Amino acid sequence: MAEVNMEQLLNCALCPNMCRCDCPVLQALGHEKVAPAGKARFAAMHQQDHLELSNEIIEAIANCLGCRGCTVLCPFPELNLCDELLYARTPDSVDQSGQLPAWEPYLANLKKYGSPYGQKPPFGGKSSRGSDVLYFVGCTALANHPESVAVIGKLLQQAGVNYQLIDEDCCGYPAETWGDPNLAHSLAAENIRKFVECGAKKLVTCCPECWLIFTERYKKWGFELPLEIVAAPAYFLGLVKEGLLKPAAIEQTKLSYHDPCIWARTAKLTKEPRQLLESIPGITIEEPLFSGELTHCCGGGRMFQLSFPKTAEEIAKRRLSEFTVGAGIVTACPFCREGLSQENNARIIDLLELLANACCS
Amino acid sequence: MHNLPQTVIQESRVEQQTIDTFAREANRIVGSDQVSANPADLLANSRDYWPVNNIWMIEGRVPALPQLVVWPGNTEEISALLKLATKLKVPVTPYGEGSGTLGGAIPIKGGVSLDLKRMNHLLEIDEESLMVRVESGLNGALYEELLNHAGYTGGHFPQSLRCSSIGGWLACRAAGQFSTRYGKIEDIAVSLEAVLPDGTIFSGRSVPRTATGPRLDHLLIGSEGIFGVITSATLRIWPLPEKRHLISYTFADLKGALECIRLIMRTGARPAVVRLYDAQETGNHFPELGDQRCALILLIEGTAKIIAAEAEVIDDLAIASGAVDCGPEHVEHWLEKRFNISVASMLFQKGAVLDTIEVSTNWHNAHSTYLAMQKSLLAVEGTMLASGHYSHVYPDGAGLYMTVVGFPGSDKLAFYKRIWQAAMEACLAQGAAISHHHGIGLHRGQWMHEEHGSGLSVLKKIKKALDPENIMNPGKLGLEEGKLWQK
Ligand SMILES: Cc1cc2nc3c(=O)[nH]c(=O)nc-3n(C[C@H](O)[C@H](O)[C@H](O)COP(=O)(O)OP(=O)(O)OC[C@H]3O[C@@H](n4cnc5c(N)ncnc54)[C@H](O)[C@@H]3O)c2cc1C
Ligand code: SF4
Ligand code: SF4
Repeated sequence: MAEVNMEQLLNCALCPNMCRCDCPVLQALGHEKVAPAGKARFAAMHQQDHLELSNEIIEAIANCLGCRGCTVLCPFPELNLCDELLYARTPDSVDQSGQLPAWEPYLANLKKYGSPYGQKPPFGGKSSRGSDVLYFVGCTALANHPESVAVIGKLLQQAGVNYQLIDEDCCGYPAETWGDPNLAHSLAAENIRKFVECGAKKLVTCCPECWLIFTERYKKWGFELPLEIVAAPAYFLGLVKEGLLKPAAIEQTKLSYHDPCIWARTAKLTKEPRQLLESIPGITIEEPLFSGELTHCCGGGRMFQLSFPKTAEEIAKRRLSEFTVGAGIVTACPFCREGLSQENNARIIDLLELLANACCS
Repeated sequence: MHNLPQTVIQESRVEQQTIDTFAREANRIVGSDQVSANPADLLANSRDYWPVNNIWMIEGRVPALPQLVVWPGNTEEISALLKLATKLKVPVTPYGEGSGTLGGAIPIKGGVSLDLKRMNHLLEIDEESLMVRVESGLNGALYEELLNHAGYTGGHFPQSLRCSSIGGWLACRAAGQFSTRYGKIEDIAVSLEAVLPDGTIFSGRSVPRTATGPRLDHLLIGSEGIFGVITSATLRIWPLPEKRHLISYTFADLKGALECIRLIMRTGARPAVVRLYDAQETGNHFPELGDQRCALILLIEGTAKIIAAEAEVIDDLAIASGAVDCGPEHVEHWLEKRFNISVASMLFQKGAVLDTIEVSTNWHNAHSTYLAMQKSLLAVEGTMLASGHYSHVYPDGAGLYMTVVGFPGSDKLAFYKRIWQAAMEACLAQGAAISHHHGIGLHRGQWMHEEHGSGLSVLKKIKKALDPENIMNPGKLGLEEGKLWQK
């Protein structure tokens, strides 16, 4: 099991919540128990045997999107609060409960189908076995927008890229989030096996959470990645720069871009999606109240839409209020797309689908 | 392990039956999602940023627990809740963002922690008259961001900007780092809307000034929740400054530097930021300046032409006082680091006891109060550091901010009480006021009588008239003898 860095956790527990303004869960709920240092206090008190890990406490600590909004101006460079919180509430052994009843059906789905959403829909799109490029869809895009697979496939074909799809399993992050690291590890092992088997050299994914887990966790979990992991916005920008994709003008001209938190803060991909957008002739970008590294999460991080749907909806509402009313909002993450679509006054557009529209029609 | 940690200074609790009745009614008023007796909520609202809370947290204890947490969504709901609390005699402690440093938000008599954070909307901006109406639960940094987006600034930047609320600023009479130009929160506040314990909703007129009897709404500024709940406020705003000018100097000693600042303030120049550090803090914050001289940093902002004139006036006086010009980079460094208080967490972990004690002085005792407080603090066994800076200046004086760190070994609380006793005695002996901007809360109440003399009985009479059942934040502002927390 992952070790809690007690010094860093205590640094946070002893802080006056200097990043409370950056925490979307706190700002949406207004309940002190989900304040960043508040959660750290519960976690630290539990780690020091002063507080039982009751369901109420687990729930409070788990009210974290993993968005890392709290890290932007945090004075402790070594502190990654969302991970410390996660590790602190993860049971040390299988006979201890660290899971909320609400998570059980999703964990059951993961065990049975390799996806928290249940039976995976069949893939659309064309797959060339043995290709160098593996397009990894991710459970959320697959469950909510299975048609996106075909769209992205078209884009890759247009660029002349041979790609393959595999019968992928969930990356493991949701299982880890829901307090079952053993399941997370076995999903990871299964994926690694399939990566090796497929022989691809490069894995392209449009899911920031999958990207995060492949790049950050798999090594920590003791797995060797047999291929390079590439974030889709960076990959497709490369194709445009190489002249393999040539976007033409489309109907939209003024758009806003919502930075998905992991792309912006962990992958440091803030320029690339904007450059991709600007590669479409005639497009100008209108920035929302918080953007780039300072973006606010849509409410979908760490499977929040499944774990805490009401709060996720509130967070999405708040995020939408930071955009001009009625703006066309482009994003590059299946969770953001889903979360922000809850409000009907906003038009949420997927970056790659927009690009496909500009390149393939 | 425990379901809820042990409390240390819980004076009393309300009978459970009464709390249950309150909860049933409150569910009807605000909705059941916004009323909670969940242990996580009780625990979260049990404390603020009074340093003693951190000492207790490390030991696995909390100061005191509320019995319910309630999150109202609007003024009418608060009115109904306070009426109910008065009827049932249930204590109500307002809770903003819990950054108060004196235990003001700790529910020492149990009852309800009334958390204002859902009331976080910027209601309207009057661009013509430069005012904004805002709900009291809005976070300070988000408030400033919203204003900046519209081309304005709120001019109020406490170091706790990122972790405090508008209501907390008003309730504690806060002062921001740019206060010499923009004023303290009482200067920035045009009017307030508040709810009294009997449910009365009232507000002041949002005009620049009135002579229509005392400003009743302003009575709530600095009341720390003992009279009622501040629900919204109309605050002054300014267009984003056209230009900023940064300057720093060092002086041979604190006394000479204070005299220079006094002269600057007499000219009418109003730099936004004026911060003068003693030699020790100069060495800590600006190591490249050494620890033998005292650094003064200034930030002037506004219209370019006015800034140029102010900069010239200031520079003439500083050079004539023998100051050495050290350029803008130290001010840039301060701007970058001004919200970084990481050292506090690290010191607490190492077993230190630390606090900051800010007092208000006139020019004649600005320096002597510093010397006296430093001497008394250093005389307390266990004190390792007692340093100071001045960060809010006026034509008639300056706010002095002392930092004290000690490693007392086992009895941390006894040491904590001793340093405060030493500091407050020295401050009062010099004729300075016991708080410049952190307020009184629970802890500083012990010196309210010495501070106010007969004025304290006036405060008590007003409290009795407005809150006959003593439901609003009981035990704070020195109105009652602390039962479990005394000198
Ligand atoms: C790191 C740090 C730096 C700080 N720097 C400064 C500074 O530069 N300047 C400064 O002035 N202060 C400073 N403070 C002190 C503190 O931030 C302020 O007192 C702040 O105004 C408190 O706001 P809050 O929302 O956190 O209030 P809380 O701590 O939640 O409450 C403070 C008190 O006000 C009452 N209260 C809160 N909201 C309301 C309301 N709506 N109606 C009625 N009563 C209410 C509470 O009951 C309590 O008694 C600092 C604190 C910290 C931790
Ligand atoms: S994450 Fe950093 S800034 Fe936020 S509360 Fe913790 S220590 Fe403070
Ligand atoms: S990672 Fe995001 S949700 Fe979690 S504590 Fe930090 S800011 Fe809040």
